[in-house]
Amino acid sequence: MDLLSPMFGKLTPVLGAGAVDEIVNKFGLDFPKFIAQVIIFVLVYTILKKFAFGPILSMLEQRRQRIADGEAKLEKIARDLAEAEKNAKAVLDKANDDASRLIKEAGDSAKSLAEKRQQEAIHEANQIIAKSREAAKLEHEQLLSQLKREFGRMVSDATSRVTGKVLNSDDQSRINQETSAQVSL
Amino acid sequence: MALSFSSDLLTPMLAVHPEASELLGDGVLGFITNSVLVALCVLGLVFLFSKKATTNMTLVPHKAQNLFEFLVEFLYNRVESIVGPKQVKLAFPLLGTLFIYILVSNWFGLIPGVGTIGFGPSTGALSVTSSDHAFHPILRPPTADLNATLALAVSAFLVWFVLTIKEVGVWGFIVHTFGPKGGLKGFMGLVVGAVFLFVGVIEIVSIVLRPMTLSVRLYGNIFAGESVLHTLGGLLDKAGQPWSMIGSVLIPFPFYFMELLVGLLQAIVFTLLCSVYIQLSTTHDDHGHEEGDHH
Repeated sequence: MDLLSPMFGKLTPVLGAGAVDEIVNKFGLDFPKFIAQVIIFVLVYTILKKFAFGPILSMLEQRRQRIADGEAKLEKIARDLAEAEKNAKAVLDKANDDASRLIKEAGDSAKSLAEKRQQEAIHEANQIIAKSREAAKLEHEQLLSQLKREFGRMVSDATSRVTGKVLNSDDQSRINQETSAQVSL
Repeated sequence: MALSFSSDLLTPMLAVHPEASELLGDGVLGFITNSVLVALCVLGLVFLFSKKATTNMTLVPHKAQNLFEFLVEFLYNRVESIVGPKQVKLAFPLLGTLFIYILVSNWFGLIPGVGTIGFGPSTGALSVTSSDHAFHPILRPPTADLNATLALAVSAFLVWFVLTIKEVGVWGFIVHTFGPKGGLKGFMGLVVGAVFLFVGVIEIVSIVLRPMTLSVRLYGNIFAGESVLHTLGGLLDKAGQPWSMIGSVLIPFPFYFMELLVGLLQAIVFTLLCSVYIQLSTTHDDHGHEEGDHH
Protein backbone atom coordinates (compact mmCIF):
# COMPACT_ATOMS: atom_id res chain seq x y z
CA MET A 1 0.00 0.00 0.00
CA ASP A 2 2.83 2.34 0.91
CA LEU A 3 4.47 1.71 -2.45
CA LEU A 4 1.31 2.62 -4.32
CA SER A 5 0.71 5.75 -2.29
CA PRO A 6 3.14 7.88 -4.33
CA MET A 7 1.16 7.11 -7.46
CA PHE A 8 -2.02 8.31 -5.88
CA GLY A 9 -0.10 11.00 -4.02
CA LYS A 10 -0.41 13.07 -7.19
CA LEU A 11 -4.01 13.59 -6.17
CA THR A 12 -2.92 15.14 -2.87
CA PRO A 13 -3.33 18.76 -4.06
CA VAL A 14 -6.91 17.98 -5.01
CA LEU A 15 -8.09 15.62 -2.30
CA GLY A 16 -5.74 16.27 0.60
CA ALA A 17 -3.26 13.81 2.09
CA GLY A 18 -5.79 12.07 4.28
CA ALA A 19 -8.20 11.57 1.41
CA VAL A 20 -5.53 9.85 -0.69
CA ASP A 21 -4.77 7.41 2.11
CA GLU A 22 -8.51 6.95 2.53
CA ILE A 23 -8.90 6.03 -1.16
CA VAL A 24 -5.91 3.69 -1.08
CA ASN A 25 -7.30 1.97 2.01
CA LYS A 26 -10.89 1.98 0.83
CA PHE A 27 -10.17 0.28 -2.48
CA GLY A 28 -7.66 -2.11 -1.01
CA LEU A 29 -4.66 -0.94 -3.01
CA ASP A 30 -1.76 -3.08 -1.92
CA PHE A 31 1.64 -3.58 -3.50
CA PRO A 32 1.82 -7.41 -3.25
CA LYS A 33 -1.71 -7.69 -4.67
CA PHE A 34 -0.77 -5.25 -7.41
CA ILE A 35 2.39 -7.23 -8.25
CA ALA A 36 0.38 -10.48 -8.24
CA GLN A 37 -1.98 -8.98 -10.80
CA VAL A 38 0.93 -7.70 -12.89
CA ILE A 39 2.49 -11.16 -12.89
CA ILE A 40 -0.79 -12.78 -13.92
CA PHE A 41 -1.20 -10.24 -16.71
CA VAL A 42 2.37 -10.86 -17.90
CA LEU A 43 1.63 -14.59 -17.90
CA VAL A 44 -1.53 -14.04 -19.96
CA TYR A 45 0.50 -11.84 -22.32
CA THR A 46 3.17 -14.53 -22.67
CA ILE A 47 0.63 -17.29 -23.26
CA LEU A 48 -1.32 -15.32 -25.83
CA LYS A 49 1.81 -14.17 -27.61
CA LYS A 50 3.25 -17.68 -27.77
CA PHE A 51 0.14 -19.79 -28.33
CA ALA A 52 -2.29 -17.42 -30.02
CA PHE A 53 -0.97 -14.28 -31.67
CA GLY A 54 2.20 -15.81 -33.11
CA PRO A 55 0.67 -18.90 -34.75
CA ILE A 56 -2.55 -17.14 -35.77
CA LEU A 57 -0.85 -14.12 -37.31
CA SER A 58 1.51 -16.50 -39.07
CA MET A 59 -1.45 -18.54 -40.33
CA LEU A 60 -3.27 -15.39 -41.44
CA GLU A 61 -0.16 -14.23 -43.28
CA GLN A 62 0.21 -17.68 -44.86
CA ARG A 63 -3.44 -17.60 -45.93
CA ARG A 64 -3.11 -14.06 -47.23
CA GLN A 65 -0.06 -15.11 -49.23
CA ARG A 66 -1.93 -18.13 -50.54
CA ILE A 67 -4.89 -15.99 -51.55
CA ALA A 68 -2.54 -13.51 -53.23
CA ASP A 69 -0.84 -16.40 -55.06
CA GLY A 70 -4.25 -17.76 -56.02
CA GLU A 71 -5.30 -14.37 -57.32
CA ALA A 72 -2.07 -14.07 -59.29
CA LYS A 73 -2.59 -17.55 -60.71
CA LEU A 74 -6.18 -16.71 -61.51
CA GLU A 75 -5.07 -13.60 -63.38
CA LYS A 76 -2.43 -15.63 -65.21
CA ILE A 77 -5.02 -18.26 -66.08
CA ALA A 78 -7.39 -15.55 -67.31
CA ARG A 79 -4.59 -14.06 -69.40
CA ASP A 80 -3.64 -17.49 -70.75
CA LEU A 81 -7.29 -18.22 -71.47
CA ALA A 82 -7.68 -14.97 -73.35
CA GLU A 83 -4.48 -15.73 -75.23
CA ALA A 84 -5.66 -19.28 -75.96
CA GLU A 85 -9.03 -17.97 -77.14
CA LYS A 86 -7.23 -15.48 -79.34
CA ASN A 87 -5.01 -18.23 -80.73
CA ALA A 88 -7.98 -20.55 -81.18
CA LYS A 89 -9.84 -17.80 -83.02
CA ALA A 90 -6.81 -17.19 -85.23
CA VAL A 91 -6.50 -20.93 -85.91
CA LEU A 92 -10.20 -21.15 -86.65
CA ASP A 93 -10.05 -18.15 -88.94
CA LYS A 94 -7.06 -19.65 -90.73
CA ALA A 95 -8.83 -23.01 -90.94
CA ASN A 96 -11.93 -21.30 -92.29
CA ASP A 97 -9.87 -19.46 -94.85
CA ASP A 98 -8.06 -22.67 -95.80
CA ALA A 99 -11.33 -24.56 -95.96
CA SER A 100 -12.91 -21.88 -98.14
CA ARG A 101 -9.88 -21.87 -100.36
CA LEU A 102 -9.84 -25.67 -100.56
CA ILE A 103 -13.56 -25.76 -101.29
CA LYS A 104 -13.09 -23.17 -103.99
CA GLU A 105 -10.13 -25.06 -105.40
CA ALA A 106 -12.04 -28.32 -105.22
CA GLY A 107 -14.98 -26.66 -106.95
CA ASP A 108 -12.74 -25.28 -109.64
CA SER A 109 -10.98 -28.59 -109.98
CA ALA A 110 -14.27 -30.46 -110.13
CA LYS A 111 -15.57 -28.07 -112.74
CA SER A 112 -12.42 -28.40 -114.76
CA LEU A 113 -12.50 -32.17 -114.43
CA ALA A 114 -16.16 -32.28 -115.39
CA GLU A 115 -15.44 -30.21 -118.47
CA LYS A 116 -12.52 -32.40 -119.30
CA ARG A 117 -14.62 -35.52 -118.79
CA GLN A 118 -17.38 -34.00 -120.84
CA GLN A 119 -14.96 -33.19 -123.63
CA GLU A 120 -13.58 -36.68 -123.43
CA ALA A 121 -17.08 -38.12 -123.47
CA ILE A 122 -18.02 -35.97 -126.45
CA HIS A 123 -14.86 -36.97 -128.23
CA GLU A 124 -15.40 -40.60 -127.38
CA ALA A 125 -19.02 -40.36 -128.50
CA ASN A 126 -17.92 -38.77 -131.76
CA GLN A 127 -15.41 -41.52 -132.26
CA ILE A 128 -18.05 -44.12 -131.52
CA ILE A 129 -20.42 -42.41 -133.93
CA ALA A 130 -17.69 -42.19 -136.58
CA LYS A 131 -16.79 -45.82 -136.10
CA SER A 132 -20.44 -46.77 -136.20
CA ARG A 133 -20.92 -44.80 -139.36
CA GLU A 134 -17.84 -46.37 -140.85
CA ALA A 135 -19.00 -49.82 -139.80
CA ALA A 136 -22.49 -49.10 -141.14
CA LYS A 137 -21.02 -47.81 -144.36
CA LEU A 138 -18.81 -50.85 -144.66
CA GLU A 139 -21.69 -53.13 -143.91
CA HIS A 140 -23.80 -51.20 -146.38
CA GLU A 141 -21.18 -51.62 -149.04
CA GLN A 142 -20.79 -55.30 -148.27
CA LEU A 143 -24.52 -55.77 -148.39
CA LEU A 144 -24.63 -53.81 -151.56
CA SER A 145 -21.90 -55.86 -153.20
CA GLN A 146 -23.53 -59.00 -151.88
CA LEU A 147 -26.84 -57.79 -153.25
CA LYS A 148 -25.21 -57.02 -156.57
CA ARG A 149 -23.62 -60.39 -156.65
CA GLU A 150 -26.88 -62.00 -155.71
CA PHE A 151 -28.71 -59.88 -158.19
CA GLY A 152 -26.17 -60.76 -160.89
CA ARG A 153 -26.48 -64.43 -160.04
CA MET A 154 -30.23 -64.14 -160.18
CA VAL A 155 -30.00 -62.33 -163.55
CA SER A 156 -27.59 -64.96 -164.84
CA ASP A 157 -29.82 -67.66 -163.55
CA ALA A 158 -32.86 -66.01 -165.10
CA THR A 159 -31.04 -65.46 -168.38
CA SER A 160 -29.90 -69.06 -168.56
CA ARG A 161 -33.39 -70.23 -167.80
CA VAL A 162 -34.98 -67.91 -170.36
CA THR A 163 -32.48 -68.63 -173.03
CA GLY A 164 -31.99 -72.25 -172.14
CA LYS A 165 -28.38 -71.84 -172.65
CA VAL A 166 -25.73 -72.81 -170.22
CA LEU A 167 -23.75 -69.72 -169.58
CA ASN A 168 -20.04 -69.99 -169.30
CA SER A 169 -18.00 -68.06 -166.92
CA ASP A 170 -17.31 -65.27 -169.42
CA ASP A 171 -21.01 -64.83 -170.01
CA GLN A 172 -21.76 -64.78 -166.37
CA SER A 173 -19.03 -62.31 -165.77
CA ARG A 174 -20.25 -60.02 -168.54
CA ILE A 175 -23.88 -60.29 -167.32
CA ASN A 176 -22.81 -59.51 -163.83
CA GLN A 177 -20.84 -56.47 -164.95
CA GLU A 178 -23.70 -55.18 -166.99
CA THR A 179 -26.17 -55.82 -164.21
CA SER A 180 -23.92 -54.07 -161.75
CA ALA A 181 -23.61 -51.20 -164.11
CA GLN A 182 -27.35 -51.01 -164.52
CA VAL A 183 -28.12 -51.32 -160.79
CA SER A 184 -27.22 -48.18 -158.92
CA LEU A 185 -28.26 -48.17 -155.33
CA MET B 1 -9.78 22.85 -2.46
CA ALA B 2 -9.68 19.53 -0.68
CA LEU B 3 -12.65 17.19 -0.86
CA SER B 4 -13.32 15.02 2.16
CA PHE B 5 -14.10 11.34 1.92
CA SER B 6 -15.61 9.29 4.68
CA SER B 7 -15.84 5.53 4.78
CA ASP B 8 -19.11 5.84 6.69
CA LEU B 9 -20.54 7.82 3.80
CA LEU B 10 -19.20 5.46 1.18
CA THR B 11 -19.95 2.06 2.69
CA PRO B 12 -23.75 2.13 2.91
CA MET B 13 -23.96 3.01 -0.78
CA LEU B 14 -21.92 -0.01 -1.80
CA ALA B 15 -23.63 -3.39 -1.97
CA VAL B 16 -20.36 -5.17 -2.73
CA HIS B 17 -17.21 -4.33 -0.80
CA PRO B 18 -14.95 -2.13 -2.98
CA GLU B 19 -11.86 -4.05 -1.89
CA ALA B 20 -10.89 -7.53 -3.03
CA SER B 21 -11.08 -9.98 -0.13
CA GLU B 22 -8.05 -11.93 1.01
CA LEU B 23 -8.69 -15.65 0.88
CA LEU B 24 -5.75 -16.88 2.97
CA GLY B 25 -5.57 -14.21 5.61
CA ASP B 26 -3.43 -11.09 5.56
CA GLY B 27 -0.07 -12.79 6.12
CA VAL B 28 2.54 -13.79 3.57
CA LEU B 29 -0.15 -15.12 1.28
CA GLY B 30 -2.26 -12.02 1.72
CA PHE B 31 -1.90 -11.23 -1.97
CA ILE B 32 -4.11 -14.21 -2.81
CA THR B 33 -7.46 -12.50 -3.05
CA ASN B 34 -10.75 -13.50 -4.59
CA SER B 35 -9.85 -11.42 -7.67
CA VAL B 36 -6.43 -13.11 -7.95
CA LEU B 37 -8.24 -16.46 -7.86
CA VAL B 38 -10.51 -15.40 -10.72
CA ALA B 39 -7.55 -13.90 -12.58
CA LEU B 40 -5.87 -17.32 -12.37
CA CYS B 41 -9.08 -18.90 -13.70
CA VAL B 42 -9.05 -16.39 -16.58
CA LEU B 43 -5.39 -17.21 -17.18
CA GLY B 44 -6.26 -20.92 -17.33
CA LEU B 45 -9.20 -20.31 -19.66
CA VAL B 46 -7.10 -18.19 -21.99
CA PHE B 47 -4.35 -20.80 -21.98
CA LEU B 48 -6.72 -23.70 -22.66
CA PHE B 49 -8.64 -21.94 -25.37
CA SER B 50 -5.62 -20.47 -27.16
CA LYS B 51 -3.92 -23.89 -27.00
CA LYS B 52 -7.03 -25.55 -28.41
CA ALA B 53 -7.38 -22.91 -31.12
CA THR B 54 -3.80 -23.20 -32.31
CA THR B 55 -3.34 -26.97 -32.06
CA ASN B 56 -3.46 -28.72 -35.43
CA MET B 57 -3.99 -25.47 -37.29
CA THR B 58 -5.05 -25.87 -40.88
CA LEU B 59 -5.59 -23.50 -43.78
CA VAL B 60 -9.28 -24.38 -43.58
CA PRO B 61 -9.78 -23.54 -39.90
CA HIS B 62 -11.62 -25.64 -37.34
CA LYS B 63 -14.20 -23.99 -35.06
CA ALA B 64 -11.94 -22.81 -32.23
CA GLN B 65 -9.27 -21.71 -34.69
CA ASN B 66 -11.86 -19.86 -36.72
CA LEU B 67 -13.17 -17.94 -33.70
CA PHE B 68 -9.71 -17.00 -32.51
CA GLU B 69 -8.60 -16.03 -36.00
CA PHE B 70 -11.64 -13.81 -36.34
CA LEU B 71 -10.88 -12.16 -33.01
CA VAL B 72 -7.18 -11.69 -33.66
CA GLU B 73 -7.67 -10.46 -37.22
CA PHE B 74 -10.39 -8.03 -36.15
CA LEU B 75 -8.23 -6.64 -33.34
CA TYR B 76 -5.11 -6.51 -35.49
CA ASN B 77 -6.86 -4.55 -38.22
CA ARG B 78 -8.40 -2.10 -35.72
CA VAL B 79 -5.08 -1.56 -33.96
CA GLU B 80 -3.24 -1.23 -37.26
CA SER B 81 -5.71 1.40 -38.46
CA ILE B 82 -4.90 3.45 -35.35
CA VAL B 83 -1.19 2.97 -34.64
CA GLY B 84 -0.10 2.31 -38.22
CA PRO B 85 1.60 -0.65 -39.90
CA LYS B 86 4.98 0.00 -38.29
CA GLN B 87 3.93 0.16 -34.64
CA VAL B 88 1.28 -2.53 -34.86
CA LYS B 89 3.86 -5.33 -34.87
CA LEU B 90 5.26 -4.10 -31.55
CA ALA B 91 2.07 -2.88 -29.92
CA PHE B 92 -0.42 -5.54 -30.98
CA PRO B 93 0.59 -8.31 -28.54
CA LEU B 94 0.02 -5.96 -25.59
CA LEU B 95 -3.18 -4.40 -26.94
CA GLY B 96 -4.61 -7.75 -28.02
CA THR B 97 -3.82 -9.22 -24.60
CA LEU B 98 -5.42 -6.24 -22.87
CA PHE B 99 -8.62 -6.62 -24.88
CA ILE B 100 -8.93 -10.38 -24.43
CA TYR B 101 -7.99 -10.35 -20.75
CA ILE B 102 -10.35 -7.49 -19.89
CA LEU B 103 -13.20 -8.95 -21.93
CA VAL B 104 -12.88 -12.43 -20.43
CA SER B 105 -12.54 -10.96 -16.93
CA ASN B 106 -15.57 -8.74 -17.35
CA TRP B 107 -17.75 -11.52 -18.70
CA PHE B 108 -16.41 -13.97 -16.15
CA GLY B 109 -18.09 -11.79 -13.54
CA LEU B 110 -21.45 -12.51 -15.16
CA ILE B 111 -21.22 -16.27 -14.65
CA PRO B 112 -23.86 -17.17 -12.06
CA GLY B 113 -22.21 -17.36 -8.68
CA VAL B 114 -19.26 -15.14 -9.50
CA GLY B 115 -19.72 -11.95 -7.51
CA THR B 116 -22.98 -13.17 -6.03
CA ILE B 117 -22.01 -16.00 -3.71
CA GLY B 118 -20.04 -14.87 -0.70
CA PHE B 119 -20.22 -13.41 2.76
CA GLY B 120 -22.33 -10.43 3.78
CA PRO B 121 -25.69 -9.11 4.88
CA SER B 122 -28.27 -11.24 3.18
CA THR B 123 -30.97 -13.76 3.90
CA GLY B 124 -31.29 -17.47 3.38
CA ALA B 125 -30.06 -20.64 4.98
CA LEU B 126 -26.56 -20.32 3.58
CA SER B 127 -26.04 -16.70 4.62
CA VAL B 128 -22.98 -15.92 6.66
CA THR B 129 -22.82 -12.41 7.97
CA SER B 130 -19.52 -10.60 7.50
CA SER B 131 -17.94 -8.28 9.98
CA ASP B 132 -18.90 -5.16 8.00
CA HIS B 133 -22.03 -4.13 6.13
CA ALA B 134 -20.72 -4.90 2.65
CA PHE B 135 -20.84 -8.13 0.69
CA HIS B 136 -17.63 -10.10 0.13
CA PRO B 137 -17.97 -12.42 -2.88
CA ILE B 138 -15.89 -15.60 -3.00
CA LEU B 139 -15.11 -15.03 -6.66
CA ARG B 140 -14.55 -11.48 -7.84
CA PRO B 141 -13.77 -10.48 -11.44
CA PRO B 142 -10.23 -9.03 -11.64
CA THR B 143 -11.53 -5.92 -13.33
CA ALA B 144 -13.61 -5.20 -10.22
CA ASP B 145 -10.36 -4.93 -8.23
CA LEU B 146 -8.43 -1.67 -8.46
CA ASN B 147 -5.14 -3.53 -8.02
CA ALA B 148 -5.80 -5.49 -11.20
CA THR B 149 -6.97 -2.56 -13.29
CA LEU B 150 -4.02 -0.52 -12.08
CA ALA B 151 -1.72 -3.40 -13.02
CA LEU B 152 -3.16 -3.39 -16.54
CA ALA B 153 -2.90 0.39 -16.84
CA VAL B 154 0.68 0.53 -15.51
CA SER B 155 1.74 -2.31 -17.85
CA ALA B 156 0.20 -0.47 -20.79
CA PHE B 157 1.86 2.77 -19.65
CA LEU B 158 5.28 1.12 -19.49
CA VAL B 159 4.89 -0.37 -22.95
CA TRP B 160 3.69 3.00 -24.25
CA PHE B 161 6.77 4.65 -22.75
CA VAL B 162 9.18 2.11 -24.26
CA LEU B 163 7.54 2.31 -27.71
CA THR B 164 7.54 6.11 -27.61
CA ILE B 165 11.19 6.44 -26.60
CA LYS B 166 12.18 3.76 -29.11
CA GLU B 167 10.39 5.58 -31.90
CA VAL B 168 11.09 9.26 -31.26
CA GLY B 169 13.83 9.22 -28.60
CA VAL B 170 13.96 11.20 -25.37
CA TRP B 171 14.74 14.50 -27.06
CA GLY B 172 12.11 13.86 -29.70
CA PHE B 173 9.54 13.25 -26.98
CA ILE B 174 10.49 16.49 -25.21
CA VAL B 175 10.33 18.46 -28.46
CA HIS B 176 7.06 16.75 -29.39
CA THR B 177 5.56 17.67 -26.01
CA PHE B 178 6.92 21.15 -25.35
CA GLY B 179 8.11 22.37 -28.71
CA PRO B 180 6.24 25.28 -30.36
CA LYS B 181 4.46 24.50 -33.59
CA GLY B 182 3.61 26.75 -36.48
CA GLY B 183 7.08 28.19 -37.15
CA LEU B 184 6.32 31.71 -35.87
CA LYS B 185 9.32 34.00 -35.27
CA GLY B 186 9.96 37.06 -33.17
CA PHE B 187 7.65 38.24 -30.41
CA MET B 188 4.75 36.02 -31.52
CA GLY B 189 7.14 33.09 -31.59
CA LEU B 190 8.03 33.75 -27.94
CA VAL B 191 4.37 34.02 -26.97
CA VAL B 192 3.48 30.83 -28.83
CA GLY B 193 6.53 29.11 -27.29
CA ALA B 194 5.34 30.05 -23.81
CA VAL B 195 1.84 28.79 -24.60
CA PHE B 196 3.20 25.48 -25.90
CA LEU B 197 5.43 25.16 -22.84
CA PHE B 198 2.35 25.51 -20.66
CA VAL B 199 0.43 23.06 -22.86
CA GLY B 200 3.35 20.65 -22.56
CA VAL B 201 3.15 20.81 -18.75
CA ILE B 202 -0.58 20.04 -18.96
CA GLU B 203 0.19 17.21 -21.34
CA ILE B 204 2.77 15.74 -18.96
CA VAL B 205 0.20 15.87 -16.16
CA SER B 206 -2.37 14.16 -18.36
CA ILE B 207 0.19 11.49 -19.35
CA VAL B 208 1.10 10.85 -15.72
CA LEU B 209 -2.57 10.59 -14.81
CA ARG B 210 -3.32 8.11 -17.60
CA PRO B 211 -2.74 4.93 -15.56
CA MET B 212 -5.13 6.26 -12.96
CA THR B 213 -7.81 7.36 -15.38
CA LEU B 214 -7.62 4.09 -17.28
CA SER B 215 -7.69 1.94 -14.15
CA VAL B 216 -10.38 3.86 -12.29
CA ARG B 217 -12.65 4.00 -15.35
CA LEU B 218 -12.49 0.24 -15.86
CA TYR B 219 -12.76 -0.54 -12.17
CA GLY B 220 -15.64 1.90 -11.66
CA ASN B 221 -17.70 0.49 -14.50
CA ILE B 222 -17.26 -3.16 -13.63
CA PHE B 223 -17.51 -2.69 -9.89
CA ALA B 224 -20.68 -0.64 -10.40
CA GLY B 225 -22.11 -3.42 -12.54
CA GLU B 226 -21.31 -6.00 -9.85
CA SER B 227 -22.96 -3.81 -7.23
CA VAL B 228 -26.04 -3.23 -9.39
CA LEU B 229 -26.50 -6.94 -10.05
CA HIS B 230 -25.99 -7.81 -6.42
CA THR B 231 -28.32 -5.08 -5.16
CA LEU B 232 -31.06 -5.96 -7.63
CA GLY B 233 -30.67 -9.64 -6.81
CA GLY B 234 -31.31 -8.94 -3.16
CA LEU B 235 -34.10 -6.44 -3.67
CA LEU B 236 -36.84 -8.81 -2.47
CA ASP B 237 -34.78 -10.45 0.27
CA LYS B 238 -37.13 -9.19 2.95
CA ALA B 239 -40.29 -10.32 1.11
CA GLY B 240 -39.72 -13.91 2.14
CA GLN B 241 -39.73 -17.06 0.02
CA PRO B 242 -40.54 -17.70 -2.79
CA TRP B 243 -40.51 -14.01 -3.75
CA SER B 244 -36.94 -13.58 -2.62
CA MET B 245 -35.73 -16.39 -4.87
CA ILE B 246 -37.89 -15.34 -7.83
CA GLY B 247 -36.84 -11.72 -7.45
CA SER B 248 -33.16 -12.61 -7.22
CA VAL B 249 -33.44 -14.27 -10.64
CA LEU B 250 -35.90 -12.09 -12.53
CA ILE B 251 -35.03 -8.56 -11.41
CA PRO B 252 -31.33 -8.53 -12.32
CA PHE B 253 -31.92 -10.61 -15.46
CA PRO B 254 -32.27 -7.67 -17.95
CA PHE B 255 -29.22 -6.02 -16.45
CA TYR B 256 -27.06 -9.00 -17.36
CA PHE B 257 -27.48 -8.01 -21.03
CA MET B 258 -26.47 -4.46 -20.18
CA GLU B 259 -23.43 -5.78 -18.32
CA LEU B 260 -22.50 -7.93 -21.31
CA LEU B 261 -22.45 -4.76 -23.37
CA VAL B 262 -20.61 -2.77 -20.70
CA GLY B 263 -17.99 -5.52 -20.41
CA LEU B 264 -17.35 -5.45 -24.15
CA LEU B 265 -17.43 -1.68 -24.29
CA GLN B 266 -14.93 -1.25 -21.47
CA ALA B 267 -12.54 -3.72 -23.11
CA ILE B 268 -12.81 -1.75 -26.35
CA VAL B 269 -12.41 1.61 -24.62
CA PHE B 270 -9.33 0.53 -22.67
CA THR B 271 -7.67 -0.98 -25.75
CA LEU B 272 -8.56 1.87 -28.06
CA LEU B 273 -7.32 4.51 -25.64
CA CYS B 274 -4.01 2.70 -25.26
CA SER B 275 -3.79 2.47 -29.07
CA VAL B 276 -4.49 6.17 -29.42
CA TYR B 277 -1.89 7.04 -26.78
CA ILE B 278 0.70 5.03 -28.70
CA GLN B 279 -0.32 6.56 -32.01
CA LEU B 280 -0.18 10.12 -30.68
CA SER B 281 3.30 9.81 -29.25
CA THR B 282 4.89 7.81 -32.06
CA THR B 283 3.78 9.88 -35.05
CA HIS B 284 6.37 12.21 -36.47
CA ASP B 285 4.10 14.79 -38.06
CA ASP B 286 3.25 18.17 -36.56
CA HIS B 287 -0.42 17.37 -36.17
CA GLY B 288 -0.13 14.60 -33.65
CA HIS B 289 -0.99 16.54 -30.56
CA GLU B 290 -2.71 14.89 -27.77
CA GLU B 291 -5.49 16.93 -26.38
CA GLY B 292 -5.39 15.39 -22.98
CA ASP B 293 -7.67 12.99 -21.26
CA HIS B 294 -11.30 13.69 -21.93
CA HIS B 295 -12.60 10.75 -19.97
